[in-house]
Amino acid sequence: MAKKYPETKILSRNFGVENSWTLDVARERGAYKSLEKALEEMTPDQLIEEVKTSRVRGRGGAGFPTGVKWGFVPKENDKPKYLVLNADESEPGTFKDRYLMELDPHLVLEGCLLCAYACGLSTIYIYVRGEYPLSIERLEGAIEEARKAGFIGKKVLGKKGFDVECYVHPGAGAYICGEETGMLESLEGKRGHPRIKPPFPAVEGAFGCPTVINNVETLAHVPWIVEHGGQAFADQGIQPDPDNPKALGSSGTKLMGVSGPVKNPGVWEFEFGITVKELIYDYAGGPLDGREVKAVIPGGLSMPVLTADELDVKMGFDDLVKVGSGLGTGTAIVMDDSCDMVEACENIAHFFADESCGQCTPCREGCHWMEKIFARIKGGEGTPADLDLLERLFINIEGRTICALADAAVWPLRSIIRKFRHEFLAKMPGTDAADGEDPKAAEAETVGAK
Amino acid sequence: MTSTNGAPVSPPEAVEFPPKEIKKECDEIVARYPTRMAACLPVLHVAQRHFGGWVSPEVEAGVAEYLGVSDSHIRGLLTFYAMYNDKPAGRHEVWVCRTLTCWLLGAEKLRETALAKSGCEKPGMTSPDGKFLVKNMECLGLCEAAPAVFVDGKPHVNVSNEQLEKLMDACE
Ligand SMILES: Cc1cc2nc3c(=O)[nH]c(=O)nc-3n(C[C@H](O)[C@H](O)[C@H](O)COP(=O)(O)O)c2cc1C
Ligand code: SF4
Ligand code: FES
Repeated sequence: MAKKYPETKILSRNFGVENSWTLDVARERGAYKSLEKALEEMTPDQLIEEVKTSRVRGRGGAGFPTGVKWGFVPKENDKPKYLVLNADESEPGTFKDRYLMELDPHLVLEGCLLCAYACGLSTIYIYVRGEYPLSIERLEGAIEEARKAGFIGKKVLGKKGFDVECYVHPGAGAYICGEETGMLESLEGKRGHPRIKPPFPAVEGAFGCPTVINNVETLAHVPWIVEHGGQAFADQGIQPDPDNPKALGSSGTKLMGVSGPVKNPGVWEFEFGITVKELIYDYAGGPLDGREVKAVIPGGLSMPVLTADELDVKMGFDDLVKVGSGLGTGTAIVMDDSCDMVEACENIAHFFADESCGQCTPCREGCHWMEKIFARIKGGEGTPADLDLLERLFINIEGRTICALADAAVWPLRSIIRKFRHEFLAKMPGTDAADGEDPKAAEAETVGAK
Repeated sequence: MTSTNGAPVSPPEAVEFPPKEIKKECDEIVARYPTRMAACLPVLHVAQRHFGGWVSPEVEAGVAEYLGVSDSHIRGLLTFYAMYNDKPAGRHEVWVCRTLTCWLLGAEKLRETALAKSGCEKPGMTSPDGKFLVKNMECLGLCEAAPAVFVDGKPHVNVSNEQLEKLMDACE
């Protein structure tokens, strides 16, 4: 048997340690050492350079290089500047940030403080989804402890000119507030309606001021980067492809998770390089007894599905894009052979219809429309023309809206109707597939799919 | 303002907000932000908790006055965010996750159980005896232990129908 891909314990080094969320335990295990080091030895610009060198990419779903984002914050600007930590984690199938906030809130705070130092930010708002009561409690407790210990407040650790405040801002149940500008609106006390960009938040974000927005896991990497250097981080994981300027590589480690009908769902940390298959079989225990994996969404709900024979791909940013999917949040949802893909599509479309903020017609109307079509097919009243109609809807939704929620709805649905077409046809009276003939033949007979 | 039959109705009388029990908490929240409006979400959480699990038009008006925003601004938030209730809630609130992972692992049955047990006609409605409000929620971020439910703000994971019945039985 091939050797199991090894787990790593960097972000997760304190998971499972008793009272890991308290300052005493966290400090015994090295918390805030990197903050002390940065304040003593590094200028803000050096810190940004170090993060650039690490090539760490955003762990919130989009994979944008973090150091580059930090570099966008204008230096000559009298306005206050903000960090809004994206702890909304409402992407379905995603629960990794919750582990960090519940089990290592001081690591999260240290990452935030390093970001604040590097970018000259004076206030940190941690936007935590309202449905995470324990995360909120642990973060608020940690902030209180850190304030008393001098890590938050005026002159952090005695450093002149480095004053920073930190607050938890609770969300109230809206997926769209995970989108960075929807989050800003929500922070300002409004409905979470994403903004048209530009202006980008780095220039005009919260309360009209320069704002950095990063995911929890992204910033939790920064203390390690400061301790060991950006290059040590960049040396881990999957290297960039010198022949493809878009393939920025997947440096460092990542919390990866699996949910769905598998024997051992959970979250683990790996240096990038593990395949989807290894993750699902070697760590999540594979499908339940007597079942087979049918499809996998590799990261959250918003990415195209992989079929059971497409799982030999690495869980990496560029690797998954190459096979037509994406890393997303890095937490996979498994569907097994008992899953009816038409009903799964109805469930997925309902989510996006429910969570659309309603500003853009293609998204507001399109998501409901898609849900209705799937319901019709499920009820045995669909025809092959419905699949063509869906394809036309996808074209009219994708890329035509203010934010990426609408794209996120299209991607899983389109991949499912293309890869599992026979299941849709099988529910349509009069098609060969419905008459129980070879699904492949039925597929060839029908119109539409590209 | 007019009622459904066109007759004029008077606007709701604002409650005094914040009442003294939660005044300190609310004032501290307001102090965290450069604008008063930014305190809307956290203050509404506190208000809903204090006033029996929902935000009535009178509380809505009180919060609006306190934060210097219009009643309709607050109304807009109550209808946008899933965690707020703008109608009388039950004495107990049950959330059932309906999103993909929970759905794959039996959430539909849990929802049926919750509805049958409570007597709620459909998700989002309060039971006729006023005891339960059952809500459909989207992914609660507990997918590795799906299916997940919340009862009165507390998460429960890997929940079976029998366990959900027991949890609801334990509600007074
Ligand atoms: C509909 C939608 C929902 C999102 N939800 C989240 C979320 O819950 N958490 C998160 O970190 N990023 C989320 N994002 C991505 C953010 O917009 C943003 O890219 C991210 O917070 C940037 O941080 P990062 O660069 O550290 O990843 C979402 C994006 C979209 C379009
Ligand atoms: S794409 Fe959808 S969620 Fe995003 S701004 Fe438009 S309507 Fe709102
Ligand atoms: S899908 Fe139910 S908790 Fe995530």
